Amino acid sequence: MLTGAGSTLVYPLISQWEPDYNTKAGVAITYGAIGSGGGIDQITARAVDFGASDAPLSSDQATACKGCVQIPWALGATVVSYNVKGVSNNLKLTGPVVADMFLGNITSWNDPKIKALNPGVNLPSTKVTPVYRSDGSGDSFVFSSYLSAVSPDFKSKIGASTQPPFATGTGAAKNSGVAAAIQSTDGAIGYVAISYIAADALNEALLQNAAGKYPTPNVDSIKAAADAVTTANADGSITLVNPPASAAGAYPMSTYTYAIVPKSSPKAAALKAFLTYAITDGQTFGPDLGFPPLPSAVVASDKTEIASIS
Amino acid sequence: MSTQVETEIALPRRAKFHIGDLALRVVAGAAAVLVAITLILIAYKVTDEASAALSAFGLGFLTSSEWNAVTNQFGALDLIWGTAVTSLFALILAVPIAIAIGLFLSELAPRRLRAPVGALVELLAAIPSVVLGLWGILIMGPFLEAHVEPFLHDNFGFIPLFSGTPSNVGLLPACMVLTIMVVPIVASISRELFDSVPSDLKAGALALGSTRWEMVRGVAIPQVSAGLVAAVILGLARALGEAIAVSMMIGGTLGRPSSIFGSADTLAARLASQYQGAATALQTSSLAYLALILLVFSLVANFSAQLIVRRIRRRLGT
Repeated sequence: MLTGAGSTLVYPLISQWEPDYNTKAGVAITYGAIGSGGGIDQITARAVDFGASDAPLSSDQATACKGCVQIPWALGATVVSYNVKGVSNNLKLTGPVVADMFLGNITSWNDPKIKALNPGVNLPSTKVTPVYRSDGSGDSFVFSSYLSAVSPDFKSKIGASTQPPFATGTGAAKNSGVAAAIQSTDGAIGYVAISYIAADALNEALLQNAAGKYPTPNVDSIKAAADAVTTANADGSITLVNPPASAAGAYPMSTYTYAIVPKSSPKAAALKAFLTYAITDGQTFGPDLGFPPLPSAVVASDKTEIASIS
Repeated sequence: MSTQVETEIALPRRAKFHIGDLALRVVAGAAAVLVAITLILIAYKVTDEASAALSAFGLGFLTSSEWNAVTNQFGALDLIWGTAVTSLFALILAVPIAIAIGLFLSELAPRRLRAPVGALVELLAAIPSVVLGLWGILIMGPFLEAHVEPFLHDNFGFIPLFSGTPSNVGLLPACMVLTIMVVPIVASISRELFDSVPSDLKAGALALGSTRWEMVRGVAIPQVSAGLVAAVILGLARALGEAIAVSMMIGGTLGRPSSIFGSADTLAARLASQYQGAATALQTSSLAYLALILLVFSLVANFSAQLIVRRIRRRLGT
């Protein structure tokens, strides 16, 4: 038996793996979707066999985890959502404009910068109310990493973090809290994991990518981003935000979600078998649930990482 | 806490050794010691966890309002402010209502209403705070934003307290949730207190021609004032420490807004929302520092309550 805890984003996928892997390998997987931060704490304490997090470990977290490897094992995306009375779905926005809204430089929805991106849309003068996560979050990490990549102003004033120090707006706990706050606030703009858009019938903004296109965040546009960037950083994470212009159809706020595993584990053999299943056979469940399959280059580098566990 | 009779009953000395007495003494003593040890261990552990933040920021932590996990700068000023404002505001709203409920249930309500209404009030205390928080987000917050806050804003907007934009999260919604949590605690204790006033006294006052209100003001309230203070402090402790519902309702932002429609944050709420998955080691330690501040607040509140209770008792000569 293997136990895991963490990310809620990857949970729909893991819940498919649980029965399937039990039938195929006879190993029961028990996973608690307690949130990425909780997953990191649990694996650091070795209370579970594997953790799962949407943000890679920070350097302090990596030190505390004492020899953990992070294995990208599923793809997802963070989506900008909004609620403005009289404005329909799929408003077009760019990273720098969203950054200005979260920095307090753009304060009303009929700002010329938003108007210029959306000719023909009748924008009211409603006040912009940014909504962000008050708890540590992978979505906050993806969102602030993306804005830091495209807006020097955002990078110097706020920066990339799982808990960015936003200067304006209101905080809400978890994706569900942000979704509720967006729904109940006229003029709100916020960010949620992609699955919450459909689940809560939220508006999704279309973000301009480096190629100047506005791809809808979905399996295809996330896959396009993943195919464009397959080289891992030194810590094993892969940065998918703001992919190069050569990937014309790539959604610019795509992300990997990671399995976090101790390098030496008493259950190394079982763990290695399960992780190998997750990145190969397990991926077949993905597309139906909104998870594009991993690019083959990432599967290959994951296999090397998995082999290093003992 | 306050109504027990402080007289020791002198037991006749017996030559025979009683195993039951010894067992009682050991079990009761061990329970008391266990509580003390638990408190000391918690205080030690929290201080130990906070030591990195204590040495990095010292007492400057209390006067800084920076909270930035990117630059690793942390301070508690805005959170202390938020905790104090929400708790005091909730007490101001809750205490009169709660004492009125206590009086109603013990003195005024028809006898057959007392049990069901009393049970309902106590049931309110049993609602888990996360449920109250959800109800706050989905129902009370939007209601306040749509009806109460615009009314306050339109009629009293010239007072800075009621200026600003109505919002479904912020100080006012958080205070309302806290009020709902504090009321049943104070109400059920004050009901017990009023019930404990000897009926001879009440009957005597009424027989001397005082009205019911005069009896309450002149006899019942002075009799139980020490207990009422203790009840209020218990309510305060509840408000100070409430994390989940407040973190859902207050907006989770730093700052000390001048309007009650603004967002803020409290010590306990920040602890609840950020402890899991804190990004840096210093942040974890700073969160423990917040816990330490909260612990000191609660101890000070409790000690001052005991002090006040003692002083009132002395004055009343009971």
